[in-house]
Amino acid sequence: MPSRGARRQDQFRLRVRYRKDGRLAFLGHLEVINTVNRCVRRSGLPFAVGAGFARRMRLQFSQALPVGASSREEFFDLWLTERVGADRALAALAGATPSSLAPSQAGYVAHELPSLEAWLDHSLWRVGFLGPVDEVALARGVQELEGRGEFSYRRGDTLKRVSLQDTLMGWRQCGSGAATTLELSCATGAAAALRPRALVTAALASQGVADVPALRVERLAQWYEQDGRRMFALVPDGGQDHLPPRDRHEK
Amino acid sequence: MRLERRDRFAELEALLWSVEKPVRYLDHEWGACANQEGPFHVCLLYPDVYEVGQPNLGLSILYGAVNAAEGLSCERSYLPWTDLIDLMRANDVPLLSLETSSPVASFDVVGFTLAHELACTNILEALDLARIPLRSCERAEDDAIVVAGGPSVWNCEPVAPVFDAILLGDGEEALVEMCRVVREGRAARRCRRDILRSLARVQGVYVPALYDVVVDERATRWGRAVPRPGEDVPRIVLKRSLARLDESDPLPQKIVPYLPVVQDRLAIEVLRGCCRGCRFCQAGMTYRPVRERPAKQVVAAACDGLTKLGHDEVSLTSLSTTDHSQCAAILHELNAVLRERGVRVSIPSQRLDSFGVDMAAEVAGSKRGGLTFAPEAGSQRLRDVINKNVTDEDIDAAAANAFRAGWRRMKLYFMMGLPTETDEDVLGIARTAARVLELGRSLVGRAGRSKVSVSVSVAVLVPKAHTPFQWAGQLPLAQLRRRQELLLAANRDRAVKISYHDAEVSQVEAVLSRMGRQGFELILEAWRRGCRFDAWMDQFCYEGWVAAAGACGLDLDEIASTPLPADASLPWDHTSPGVSKGYLQSEWRRAQEGLTTPDCTMTACTGCGVCPVLGVDHALAGERHAQ
Repeated sequence: MPSRGARRQDQFRLRVRYRKDGRLAFLGHLEVINTVNRCVRRSGLPFAVGAGFARRMRLQFSQALPVGASSREEFFDLWLTERVGADRALAALAGATPSSLAPSQAGYVAHELPSLEAWLDHSLWRVGFLGPVDEVALARGVQELEGRGEFSYRRGDTLKRVSLQDTLMGWRQCGSGAATTLELSCATGAAAALRPRALVTAALASQGVADVPALRVERLAQWYEQDGRRMFALVPDGGQDHLPPRDRHEK
Repeated sequence: MRLERRDRFAELEALLWSVEKPVRYLDHEWGACANQEGPFHVCLLYPDVYEVGQPNLGLSILYGAVNAAEGLSCERSYLPWTDLIDLMRANDVPLLSLETSSPVASFDVVGFTLAHELACTNILEALDLARIPLRSCERAEDDAIVVAGGPSVWNCEPVAPVFDAILLGDGEEALVEMCRVVREGRAARRCRRDILRSLARVQGVYVPALYDVVVDERATRWGRAVPRPGEDVPRIVLKRSLARLDESDPLPQKIVPYLPVVQDRLAIEVLRGCCRGCRFCQAGMTYRPVRERPAKQVVAAACDGLTKLGHDEVSLTSLSTTDHSQCAAILHELNAVLRERGVRVSIPSQRLDSFGVDMAAEVAGSKRGGLTFAPEAGSQRLRDVINKNVTDEDIDAAAANAFRAGWRRMKLYFMMGLPTETDEDVLGIARTAARVLELGRSLVGRAGRSKVSVSVSVAVLVPKAHTPFQWAGQLPLAQLRRRQELLLAANRDRAVKISYHDAEVSQVEAVLSRMGRQGFELILEAWRRGCRFDAWMDQFCYEGWVAAAGACGLDLDEIASTPLPADASLPWDHTSPGVSKGYLQSEWRRAQEGLTTPDCTMTACTGCGVCPVLGVDHALAGERHAQ
């Protein structure tokens, strides 16, 4: 049951880790928000609503994923009016959520923390290919764009300019042909965000390859970095840093 | 040729990166039926995009009914948007179902929803994309049996060559029966023709291939359909009617879409049928008799649905929700239960009386957006012609009530081109709007945030089959445009906004509503010339339709505007919703004399014939009273 009567300090900030995969990778960010909203309603959890006229559920998400990209770890913060046990809340959400958006971990966090979207400023991505790709051209293309320090691409009618100096922290290519994968370590830039698909298309285009095979883009992890230290939205089960070693990707 | 049943999502997935709204094509929604083991497979196909088709309550009812039947599985398919259609053709990917991504052409039965006439070209587009032959007579023995049903079956002749069978009326029982007939016919290895003959024996099912079209002195130029010599089929196919709505599933909507759909809320059908008798309204004639769900069932279904599905709004749907004999009790109880859950309750339209405004206030809470009324005509004389039993005093009282209750924006629906309409009636629309505006200003003032406004939306009459206006011609295009301009010029206040429907779209709709089987050649030609998604204003191409008509030797304006003789056999006379032709003729005469006919659920029987012909009766949950 929602409640708007409760004061903010009487509310509880539940942070939930969930994945986005399978066909639901094609959900847009607004569609994910709408779907999670309905999952919370189905779960029966005592969600809080905002003080505004529209009585919206108090729910905040980490940075939007591009349409078509899947993710191993996304997060949302849900404010509750009662402190339901985190395991119980997780079970209630899991029972009300499509499996391709299944929540995997939940825990309470402090009210004072900044919003997830502003805070999680680093991410790790993997790009796979559904058809054969010229892996040599791809590697050369990424190197060339890196050398230029930026690239641009058209999104609808808008020309987007992406600074690779601000956004691309490192990259690594494995395999060959259709088994080629590209891992990208990224930071949130001041201007346009780095979209892996746009980078791959621009990299291949720089080598004269216009025919880009269909891609699978996956966000593997998100974190906040301070003084070279990685901080996570929720400490992963087992307490271990789940990222690959830093030197695997860094420049 | 029947395609192989197998999952082909990977072929589609490769195209989804390049299209608008890939979420339309995903399936895996909450509540979708994942178990599709069959062994008999049915695909329900809505010939428009997902967000238009998915909220269709009729489709949800049929999806649930077929999936609940032993040995039957039911999937959904929608027509992709033009970007994906073109990519699928270029990449040799056929139209697929949602649940298992199997080719639509691999199913045993494919069922189309006929929602409106402007979907005709989309039906051809869907069949072509599915690789199912367009005409019933071109299909091979093992091709899918292609059936149709829905609100627009009442002149189905222009699309009759497409369908193997067409269901008239309520489908929740009949579609399951039809599927079983096909399954048994297939199991017994009977030929396609014999299976169609068996389908024709299911009550409510019309099999066009078993009827010839005869053009003679008794018929209009479009001819009349008569049973083929030697075929044992009814001369008039009577519709199927569900006797008790309260015995059907009150919560058929089980799927929660991922993307915003046109009606993004939980829908509960509170009643079926309407006997107000508006003479232009096809649904008012074809959905009779009136069957209500009791208040208790409605409230329980709404609470259950909100818990299971997670919506934040519930809509009480029907042709006339505020006519429900327990409407006040339903809204009162729902409000009491749902107010604390942050759930909105909505009703689709308001009656033009104080009760209608009271009910709107009941569901509005603290929100007072716009309030919609439908006087339909601008003068008392013309409202009597169309049997809209509403007076100027009713309009004023409802508007005054609404302004006093806090509403500031009023939306008024009217129609243009009604029989006997004059310029004076059209000017009456402007006068009515101005009067409502002045009333609002006198009650709440003119300035600041209390500023009142009136929106006027004017549709064009499309004379529909099985209504008293079926004999009327549509106002010619030039006349319609002149009257639209007359109305615009008569509006002197910027607080009154007037909008009207595209007259060309309405003309094509009228043409498809009036033609016989020959209309198929027009639809086919228009589709070949690129017409599709005709109900979408940015896609509609009038020039395409005019050129198609020219190629077929037809004149759209002449077809739409020529009245039909009252004593002739009409192209749709072999299908019947139960309302007698004599009653419609009597109502047509009364319309011309300006005589009104009351609602038989509030007074006495008016002799439409539905109850005795179909062997049914109104099933009301309580007593109705005329206001």
